[in-house]
Amino acid sequence: MNVRLETVGQTTLVIPEGRLDFGSAALFEKQLEQAFVRKPTGPAAVIIDCAGLEYVSSAGLRAFLLAARTAQRAGCQFALCGLQPSVRDVFELSGFSRIITIYADRAAALAHAPTAQP
Amino acid sequence: MAPLHSVNAAVHALAALLIQGRGRYARTFENVVLALIIFSVASIGIDSIAGLPLWATRALAIAEVVIVAVFSFEYLLRIIAAPRKLAFIFSFEGIVDLLAIAPFFVARVDTRWVRALRLLRLLRLLKLQTHMLETTVAERTAELAAKNALLEEAQAQIKAELSVARELQIAILPATFPARPGCDSAARMIPATTMGGDFYDFIELQNGQVGLVMADVSGKGVPAAFFMAVARTTLRELASHYSDPGTCLARANELLFRQNPMDLFVTVFYCILDPTSGVVRYANGGHNPPLLRRPDGSVEALNGAGGLVLGAMPGVEYPEHSVRLLAGDRLVMYTDGVTEAFNTSDEAYGTERLVAEIRAHGDGAASDLVERICRSVATFAGAAPQSDDITLIVLTWKRVEAATLP
Repeated sequence: MNVRLETVGQTTLVIPEGRLDFGSAALFEKQLEQAFVRKPTGPAAVIIDCAGLEYVSSAGLRAFLLAARTAQRAGCQFALCGLQPSVRDVFELSGFSRIITIYADRAAALAHAPTAQP
Repeated sequence: MAPLHSVNAAVHALAALLIQGRGRYARTFENVVLALIIFSVASIGIDSIAGLPLWATRALAIAEVVIVAVFSFEYLLRIIAAPRKLAFIFSFEGIVDLLAIAPFFVARVDTRWVRALRLLRLLRLLKLQTHMLETTVAERTAELAAKNALLEEAQAQIKAELSVARELQIAILPATFPARPGCDSAARMIPATTMGGDFYDFIELQNGQVGLVMADVSGKGVPAAFFMAVARTTLRELASHYSDPGTCLARANELLFRQNPMDLFVTVFYCILDPTSGVVRYANGGHNPPLLRRPDGSVEALNGAGGLVLGAMPGVEYPEHSVRLLAGDRLVMYTDGVTEAFNTSDEAYGTERLVAEIRAHGDGAASDLVERICRSVATFAGAAPQSDDITLIVLTWKRVEAATLP
């Protein structure tokens, strides 16, 4: 798996590509932690663009859960977008789609992200 | 012949001790030789000074005899100790050794060029350095080997303990479904190579009802195994107190959320079967919906999926659903280790293959279907390693004949 971070205004975009399973979950968790580090105040929102994510196992889901908790503690918006149908199914079945905001694509997610400095 | 024999043996023993050995004697001998080399090089320099007093020249001549004697002795020992003698004699080392002593023997005439040849002994310093380096490398290698052996031993112990833990984990799973007239059920868990967190359970409840649990803990290894044990005990305990599956899962979720230092979670399908009526009441905490095969061969997924996994968040409710089994219905509960078994081309086994297998096999014992599915998954996966636990329960319900009712 490959993970890129991009900054759009006050938002950090996390762009994972490939398969998120037990083997790659630790790496993904580390990268997600990085996404919340931003000087001086941290990002206003973290959006994970999952368009390139082909597969998510239950160990992979845990990384999303940890990120959602980190966001909650940091008072930062957190959302996913661009889920492929099979990945979307995993989020639906596990009930994660009830506790994590999911947008259809990056444009929709960025449109809902806070833009101005508070 | 005999004395010659024993001399031969003694020389060989000496070669083994001083040249091949790695002990105290070999090191002392090496140091003596090194000191003599340094001394001999120095003496060549002193010897070339004009107008030395006679006593000094004599002393140097005696020293030269001793040095050449020791070097010759060492040279012979090296030839004896060498596994391939000719190769040693013609090697760089061998030639240097010979050049260090040869001038003494070939030229009793003390000409200047022969004296100059003696300077070739400087090359011996090089050789000795290599020797000492080799000794150091050999010592370090031995130390490393000892440390590696310790590490390997420790790793083997950890492996053995993990495998015991894995066996215990499997041993606590129930072997058989409680005997109920009209019910035929079988279960199987095939553990992955790393310790996983799948489990199933059959729980005897009041009024002859039976609770069935199918669960999958996120992650792997020791944390997942511990969480699995906690989850299983918690569910078992709650099942005896709460007669509705939704409340049972909601309570379990609260408890698991509170005793969850590793932030793990578990997907749980929990149902309660009334063996007399065939009514199954269930709640689903983030688990794949079980598949229901009707006697006409149609297969459907139980609705009510999408409840949140247990242990992730407090205050979650799990609505109760129910389905009435008809005579001959089969309920198949499974973990994603079945549908997400990958083959060598990275394709997943998938729900469709599982449904096809269930559709094709309506008759026969529940254990037969369990076996068939396991075999089908194994055939599909081929040489690909099993990355996740594979767990299955098949429950077949037949109408209970009046005669068999108590």
